[in-house]
Amino acid sequence: MSKEIKKWFSLNLGNKKQCACNDTKSNTTEDGFSQVFDISMNRRQAFKKITAGLLVGAGAVSTSCSVVSSGERKEKSQIEWEEYFKGNYKLMTDEEKQQTVDRLVRSYELRTGKKINISTKGAEKDVLFGYAFNISKCQGYMDCVNACVKENNQDRASEMQYIRIHEMNDGKGLNFGEADDTFYHEVPAAGHFYMGTQCFHCDNPPCIEVCPVQATWKEKDGIVVIDYDWCIGCRYCMAACPYDGRRFNWSTPQIPEQEVNKEQHYLGNRLRKKGVMEKCTFCVQRSREGKNPACVEACPTGSRIFGNLLDPTSEIRWVLANKKVFRLKEDLGTEPKFWYFMD
Amino acid sequence: MNVNYNIPVIFLILVLISCKGDHKKYHTVIDKIEAKTVPFQRDSTFSKNQFSISELITVTDANPHFYIKERKSNIKSFACSECHDRPVSQLQSHNPNTKKAHWDIKLNHADANTMSCLSCHIDNDMDNMHSITGTKIDFNKSYQICAQCHSKQAEDWKGGAHGKNISGWKTARVSKLCVECHNPHNPSFKTRWPARYNATMVDERTNQVKK
Amino acid sequence: MKVLINLIKDSIVYLTHGRKSYHIWMAFLTFLMLVGMYSYSLQIQHGLSVTGMTDRVSWGLYISNFTFLVGIAAAAVMLVLPAYVLKDFNFKQAVLIGEGLAVAALLMCLAFVIADMGGPARLWHLLPGIGVFNFPSSMLTWDIIVLNGYLFINISIPLYILIKRYQGKVPNPKIYIPGVMISVFWAVSIHLVTAFLYQGLQARPFWNNALLGPRFLASAFAAGPALIILVLAVIRKFTDFKIDDKTIRKIALVVTVAAQINLIMLISELFKEFYAPTHHSESAYYLFFGLHGKAKLVPWIWTAITMNVIATVILLFHKLRNNFTILYIACVLLFIGIWIEKGFGLIVPGFIPGPWGKIAEYFPTTPEIGVTIGIWAMGAFIFSMLARTGIAIELGKVKYKKG
Repeated sequence: MSKEIKKWFSLNLGNKKQCACNDTKSNTTEDGFSQVFDISMNRRQAFKKITAGLLVGAGAVSTSCSVVSSGERKEKSQIEWEEYFKGNYKLMTDEEKQQTVDRLVRSYELRTGKKINISTKGAEKDVLFGYAFNISKCQGYMDCVNACVKENNQDRASEMQYIRIHEMNDGKGLNFGEADDTFYHEVPAAGHFYMGTQCFHCDNPPCIEVCPVQATWKEKDGIVVIDYDWCIGCRYCMAACPYDGRRFNWSTPQIPEQEVNKEQHYLGNRLRKKGVMEKCTFCVQRSREGKNPACVEACPTGSRIFGNLLDPTSEIRWVLANKKVFRLKEDLGTEPKFWYFMD
Repeated sequence: MNVNYNIPVIFLILVLISCKGDHKKYHTVIDKIEAKTVPFQRDSTFSKNQFSISELITVTDANPHFYIKERKSNIKSFACSECHDRPVSQLQSHNPNTKKAHWDIKLNHADANTMSCLSCHIDNDMDNMHSITGTKIDFNKSYQICAQCHSKQAEDWKGGAHGKNISGWKTARVSKLCVECHNPHNPSFKTRWPARYNATMVDERTNQVKK
Repeated sequence: MKVLINLIKDSIVYLTHGRKSYHIWMAFLTFLMLVGMYSYSLQIQHGLSVTGMTDRVSWGLYISNFTFLVGIAAAAVMLVLPAYVLKDFNFKQAVLIGEGLAVAALLMCLAFVIADMGGPARLWHLLPGIGVFNFPSSMLTWDIIVLNGYLFINISIPLYILIKRYQGKVPNPKIYIPGVMISVFWAVSIHLVTAFLYQGLQARPFWNNALLGPRFLASAFAAGPALIILVLAVIRKFTDFKIDDKTIRKIALVVTVAAQINLIMLISELFKEFYAPTHHSESAYYLFFGLHGKAKLVPWIWTAITMNVIATVILLFHKLRNNFTILYIACVLLFIGIWIEKGFGLIVPGFIPGPWGKIAEYFPTTPEIGVTIGIWAMGAFIFSMLARTGIAIELGKVKYKKG
């Protein structure tokens, strides 16, 4: 079990042998639960689930009866059980939010012995977040991406990145097709300019319309968020996003424990699991505390501007009023809250 | 055969009531912003932030006012008058073998017709700078020197489009000063290696290599 | 109720007895299902990273097959309409098979959707009441409703007919004909709703086109009945169930018309994409000719189009169409052609090039193919059982014994 605890985040590709007693958190376990609920089940699935169910049953019996099994382990399966049946964050009462946060914090402590802090801070009144990006200043240094990955606990194994920096060719306009977003050479390269994209937090986001379970929605302050525990992983939102703003956890995310950012938000950078969507949240754990997102803070060129669109004195409003701003794919009617401008 | 009609009708009703209406109140996000704009008071205190008001300087020639960090205390070996106690011409040694005091400063800012040391520094008052017309400018307000030529950038900076906000969006703005990013003697950004690889898509990477 | 239990008991007895070829067939399907289950267990263990899908091409083989099979399910039942409108009695033989096929296809659809889920264990989040059902905003919820409703209708109607026949009674048309009518309209809706699933995405210009829905229907009407013809041919050969040549000819006519309409729509689409190509034609370029030297789908789509064209041409000529061997070949060609065109050829190019013009190619991996084969085997398995029971009851081999 101790080995399990240490490796909870790892992919373990080589390890095909799954111990049957190891019931507490394998995916077959979850499958077992779902057989209770899954109405549209077919033979094959049913068979599989019954098998899995038997495994769970056997596991549960051994857990509850075993003299050796520690209280911690029981607590752990208790937490997992309650976590599995919790509702959609959007519909939770404050009390329920606190309970799930307590469970998540405790569960992390049980796994690693470390404390984390998960905030549930809601949107502030009279705040609508907006972002501006200066394409004449960005030099392609990629410090923003680095900061983003660290801040938001993104999967290191698949090198997930919310931000993409596109190296565009001078004289070809905004030709994304010919842009290079895999460059690795000294920057800025002559004859190029750089343009960053990420989730644009559209005011009319197509991604939230299509989600069958409302696992993703727009908060009052304009941030488009995901409830990672509610997402069923159908990836319809990914297909609906015209901006390549969404990412999927194709396997269990891996983050070395010492690199985990422990200041977390339920809708932001808390640890994700396999098979769920995630994306930029304007660093909700930072922005709701009055800080700038990590990318803004890390940018050495000042190309990135963040602020409250409802505050007439904010920098972002100054940019909108005084610079020639544009947005990408405006014709789609998505109304991104992410503007580009030039010096 | 009644059923024949009922089904499409039910379907039609379903389609009609399913029209998404709620978030179409505003035609564009700009309309929404304009409609909902409120006088928003940004916090003037920097709670547990990295700044104390005493180390900040207010930029008053911008509306709204914002802050910059006090500069003089951050300049190495300020005040300059500790060495520069007399005009530079008297301090200068004409022996080519002597190592220069400011050997590491090489002016790479505009061309020699436009800029020399004395465009900004004052020969006999090194603790201050001066404008083109000879007005004294304090080191803490060095942006006024830059603004003489770079007026456009200065406007952007005052508005918030140029120069980085380092205090967060909610508290009063503290901006980086020109010289915190641009070395005044060599102001352009340098080429360097990116901090990391860009998005790794194995397939694309291999194709890139082949090219 | 007792009748139903008896029916199930009797059919299980009947299903477990049969010719050697039947046993070999079922064993083969079971083997394939086991392969699928193993592959799926890999996927459950490691996540969807065992598939060829990436952030750039986020739907692949599963959703392709899902899309195609929705069409099969829809088309199978659409055969019912001519049976009643044209008052053509022969069709009714095909109807029972058609509904069985629809059930099998629907179950495969659901299996493919579940296989594609990142969190199948969290599917209960969809259930109204305990979960959140984003209706009517999300087309996926529409699809879930129509697919499950359709499944329900297509299980209950044949079940009613079979129970009556099982008891030796004549099913009351006043009860089942309204059901049949509903299922016909429902069939159109499942297919249109599935098309809307893609059509409604402004992010993907390849799908965001008004012709997608109608084309779905046309291709489904070609591929579905083509499959039914093949199934009827097998049934004719291996069972005592009488199927007139006339029935098959009538269905062939449906296939012919649908295949032609499908081709016309294809030409219309190609004209639009290539006569005045815009930025949005890049996906079509990629599909048909490849972009920037990346052309994994090109051989597939041209195979599909060749098959479609050959099959349509064969079907056009009465002489060829009336020769059953040639007809069967045409049906096979058409079926495979449309499977490629409407599965792979529709879903994958929607993601290529990506939103920022990047071309990341997709090709399924072995586990992915394994799961797909497993689900197809499951469909064939279910259909074999349904068809065999249905035929046995129709022929009176399985009868309700009172007492």
